Amino acid sequence: MPYADLTRVVLETDQRQLPRSHAEKYELKTIWYWYPLYCLGGIAFVAFVILTITGILLGFFYVPDGRLEINPTTQNLTNPAWNSMLVIMNEIPFGFIVRGMHHWAAHIMIAAVFLHMCRVYFTGAYKKPRELNWLLGVVLMLITIMFGYSGYLLPANNLSEGAANIGINMTRASPVIGDQLARLLFGDINTLTGVYILRWYWIHVFILPLLGTGLMILHMGLVWLQGVAEPH
Amino acid sequence: MEIEHVKGKIMEGMPGFPRQYGPVRSDHQPGVPFFPQESARDFVLIFLLVAIMFFLSAVVTPFLGPARSPQISELIVPDWYLLFSWGLLKVADIFPQFTIGAGTPLKTEFSAAFWGDLLSGIPVIFLLILPFIDRGREARPAKSPVRSAFGIAFLIAWIFTASLYSIREVVAQRWQTPNGSPLIDDIAMKWFFVIPPVLVGLTSYIGLRRLGYQPMRKWLVPYVGGLTAIVAVQSAAILFMPGWLGPQVRPYIVQLVIFLAILLIPMAVASFAVFRLPESRARKWIVRVGVAGAIAFAIAYVALEYTGAANRLAMSWVLSVLEPSMNTLLLMPIFAVVTGYLGVRRPYSTYEYLLNECYQCGKCHTVCPVTKVEDDALGGLNLVYNTFKKQHDGVPLWTCLACDACSAVCPLDIQYSDYILEERSKVHARMAADGGSRE
Repeated sequence: MPYADLTRVVLETDQRQLPRSHAEKYELKTIWYWYPLYCLGGIAFVAFVILTITGILLGFFYVPDGRLEINPTTQNLTNPAWNSMLVIMNEIPFGFIVRGMHHWAAHIMIAAVFLHMCRVYFTGAYKKPRELNWLLGVVLMLITIMFGYSGYLLPANNLSEGAANIGINMTRASPVIGDQLARLLFGDINTLTGVYILRWYWIHVFILPLLGTGLMILHMGLVWLQGVAEPH
Repeated sequence: MEIEHVKGKIMEGMPGFPRQYGPVRSDHQPGVPFFPQESARDFVLIFLLVAIMFFLSAVVTPFLGPARSPQISELIVPDWYLLFSWGLLKVADIFPQFTIGAGTPLKTEFSAAFWGDLLSGIPVIFLLILPFIDRGREARPAKSPVRSAFGIAFLIAWIFTASLYSIREVVAQRWQTPNGSPLIDDIAMKWFFVIPPVLVGLTSYIGLRRLGYQPMRKWLVPYVGGLTAIVAVQSAAILFMPGWLGPQVRPYIVQLVIFLAILLIPMAVASFAVFRLPESRARKWIVRVGVAGAIAFAIAYVALEYTGAANRLAMSWVLSVLEPSMNTLLLMPIFAVVTGYLGVRRPYSTYEYLLNECYQCGKCHTVCPVTKVEDDALGGLNLVYNTFKKQHDGVPLWTCLACDACSAVCPLDIQYSDYILEERSKVHARMAADGGSRE
């Protein structure tokens, strides 16, 4: 018996199969040309897995220290975080390709998450009984955007400086607790001390992954339980 | 009893008839196994994705740039997914700035940054409350046109224009009039927040309603006619109102008139078509003028832009009139013609769009008077379901009474008799094409 047949028989005997969708169960005629849009959430998850792997590798070499210092030879303003980026890009074997993977997987993940949200919106998949999963999805999208924002703060380059300034100003603009919130998130109410790098590093590598992974498991678990909302 | 037992023995182990252990599981249905079928497909996608990432990271190395320093002079542009928020922050200075509760602990300063926060929060709040404000049952985009049109207008068009506004400095620098002022001024960019999303929303609404078989003339006439009137009035104001055209543009008034005519005439024809012509002719005329207008615009542009310095100067002065009014003069003609086409176009086939919602409750078959007398219609048939499976449904095409009893009981409001009438008309059309003789 060929191998594929053998596995099929084993699995069918065990009845270990993916839950069948509503449309499969009732033999509904689905709008098949929408199916490619149904892999966007999966693409986001695959990108997230790749981001985790490359992120762990980058974490071995990245130094989360944004305090300004003067380079003794060139007399230019620099900082340890940016210097470690130079090491990753120029000295670590395959460092630039790991950083490139991390960079592009992030873009792909955010694009996939946004398109996934559009797909869910336009096919009405957020409706009863899937409201909770939609809310989880909105939170996950915000977490993904925060991942992106914190990710481009970390290289401690000009873009990081500008983005941190915008972020601090937007946080400080919130009424009553603005300054306290800015101190909590960015370590200070301006970027001079460079402590924001350490804050956002910890948010980027611990808090957001913890929240994100947990919510992703819930999100996919609910899809498993409730079934895919198919276009029919 | 015996035959059931034999049948079970024969079917056991066949695809779709797994062995049953223990009590019979009625919920179990044969499906595609996760391994190796589903997982093979998944791994193809995953490897493709990883290959794309490797390719991108090898070809486009991520930018690093100089180390951060407190003095930044260059323009900071965040990553693309935060541009909308940056654009909203930049546009927030149009809102009044004031302070409430000054001197109390709850002092709230409505500064530009706070307005920017609030504006960026609008899409998030909308997404959070969405499942609680939209309780409708329809899932398909064309069946709930308000939701879909709002989504296209707000989640796509508005987010896009907000992102565009965040690079207003780049736009102002890149496109300039011959005397050095920005071609697309700040006011035009600000109107970009309002006019394109509204146009996109209305056009999507009309196009989607049309997909669901609605006659859209009631919407088309005021919409296309209104856009035409706006562009006509503005063109007249540009040409005849003293003080509108600058002295530098005066010498190029002939070219300007040609461009305005190219923009206005297709709109005018489209509004006449949706107002007076029958649908099939309106459709043809709108396509014709739309294509002709696009070609004429391209020819006029190329003829001026690429034929010598004098003509290029003329073109840039013409653009200096058209571009600041791009929301009206350039966008509205496009939207008028496209909407005219979408609103009168032939919708999808009934078969694809209306019948396939059936979930086989079988009510239609129960009430159908024809199935009571047709011999071969007994048992196991389902009017709507079998029709879209292209199987025998128990009612031959010319035997249906079109009594609509099936639609009256259908829980999903599927209009079976509409389908029958359309199929019959198709047969008539085929007969007419064959020379009108009966089959």
